[in-house]
Amino acid sequence: MCPAEPVVRVMVVDDHPIWREAVARDLEAAGLEVCGVASDAAQAVRVAKATRPEVVVLDLQLPDGSGVDVARSLAAFDEPPKVLVLSASGEQPDVLGAVGAGATGYLIKSASAAELVDAVRATARGEAVFTPGLAALLLGEYQRLSTGDAGGNPALTPRETEILRLVAKGFTYQQIADKLVLSLRTVQNHVQNTLTKLQLHNKAQLVRYAMEQGLDD
Amino acid sequence: MTAYRLLTLVYAAVLIAADHHQYRRPALGWALLAVMAAWTVVSTYGYAQLAGRERVLLVADVGIAVGMVLATLAVQTSARIDAGAPTLPVAWVAASVLACAVVAGPWGGGMAAVAVSAADVAERGALTPHTFNGVVLLLLAGGVGGYVVRLGVAAEDSVAEASTAMAAVGERERLAREIHDSTLQVLALIARRGREIGGETGDLAELAAAQETSLRALVSSAAPSANGASTDIRAVISAMASATVIVATPAAAVELSQVVGDALLSAVAEALANVERHAGADARAWVLVETDPDRVTVSIRDDGPGIPAGRLEAARAAGRLGVAQSIVGRIEAVGGTVSIDSRPNEGTEVEIHVPR
Repeated sequence: MCPAEPVVRVMVVDDHPIWREAVARDLEAAGLEVCGVASDAAQAVRVAKATRPEVVVLDLQLPDGSGVDVARSLAAFDEPPKVLVLSASGEQPDVLGAVGAGATGYLIKSASAAELVDAVRATARGEAVFTPGLAALLLGEYQRLSTGDAGGNPALTPRETEILRLVAKGFTYQQIADKLVLSLRTVQNHVQNTLTKLQLHNKAQLVRYAMEQGLDD
Repeated sequence: MTAYRLLTLVYAAVLIAADHHQYRRPALGWALLAVMAAWTVVSTYGYAQLAGRERVLLVADVGIAVGMVLATLAVQTSARIDAGAPTLPVAWVAASVLACAVVAGPWGGGMAAVAVSAADVAERGALTPHTFNGVVLLLLAGGVGGYVVRLGVAAEDSVAEASTAMAAVGERERLAREIHDSTLQVLALIARRGREIGGETGDLAELAAAQETSLRALVSSAAPSANGASTDIRAVISAMASATVIVATPAAAVELSQVVGDALLSAVAEALANVERHAGADARAWVLVETDPDRVTVSIRDDGPGIPAGRLEAARAAGRLGVAQSIVGRIEAVGGTVSIDSRPNEGTEVEIHVPR
């Protein structure tokens, strides 16, 4: 184990036993601690409550409901774990839902073991893990919000849009930093902001919806 | 319908019971009531049994109704008829008009109404205001009733059609889910493990990955949109993804007219073919689909060696417009624009805008 890298406690949620085991094995081989696994949504919330992982690697297609609901339940914990979505492509609306509910990263299942380990470590450090697919989903969502009739929707700054488009076109953060003559940290912050704004907006909307429905207590 | 016949039969019976002592031939009145009762039973069974061949029954139905109206002449005294006494079957005859309207539509209903009305007028010997009222009501029942029934049948047909289509979509979604949950997961796993092992297994992994991509595109491709004139380009563009081509699209459908959509899709395919031809086998490409209220933008970027400075201009000047130019041609033909940006060692980016 590399002493420079802290041990990260990870939980793996996937209904496919072979996938779950393969992912858990890859993470353990890289020196991470897999503190729990779950194969459905209800189990995921239960195990997470009991084992308190730092990072949850979450598949969105679960037999008893969507991973989006799991992400939402985990976000409601007192000390919510960070959520990295590891899902098949072609589930765009669900990915957007999970990210809106608080997930901070999205990796497609075709990613290599090394990419997965890097992504889990980055998630544990609090960095957003973006694929081009996720960047395009966010661009589309902000575009949708900007054309909606309701005011007060979050919008991207021109700089954030520029950076998000570059991420969507497959540039790495370092390449973007070089291209725009910015520090790597600044690029990361901008990307992070695009995600945080949307999550805050969704949270506010949920609260507003709850108040309108008289569900608040 | 049966309920109507029965109620009006009871009404006619009550009238006959009340008036029979004033009839010219009371016995005949009772006999005709028996015929009406018999026909009520026969027609009720007949219409239920003869689905599709009810026309004979309709003619008999209208014939008996007309006969009953005219038979009033034989039963009633002419003094009472002139005084405005009702016909023997009263409203019972309207049942035959309604039956025609249901089975044969507004024209059938209308014709039956005309026949029964003619009998009414003949029985009375003149078009009195009272008879005129009856005629109008019969015509309305036949014509409008037939029209409404036709509307109802058409609505029922389209509901049936829609539910068939929905069942097909549902079945397709079920299959997609099934394939997604099983086959695709295994293919993805084989691809992932195989690449790590490398060598010949790595080749197998690429095969599995290619199958995964195309199967995924197959099950996720949207059913053709209800409006045949527009198409969601995301499905086709997503199907262009491969081990070296990464496709990123928004979550919502990207609808374009068939013509613009086709031009855009062939331009994107051509741009990707160009990447494969010129940027080398291991060059990667990223396809990004973005939407604005008034246009759709697709950019295709690769990390190949790029086009040497001046080569595009030189080709253009020499009249050899090449593949790049055919992309431009296609897109400009549908009112779009193309920009090509390339620098040595920084890859090439083709950005295509088309109007929505």
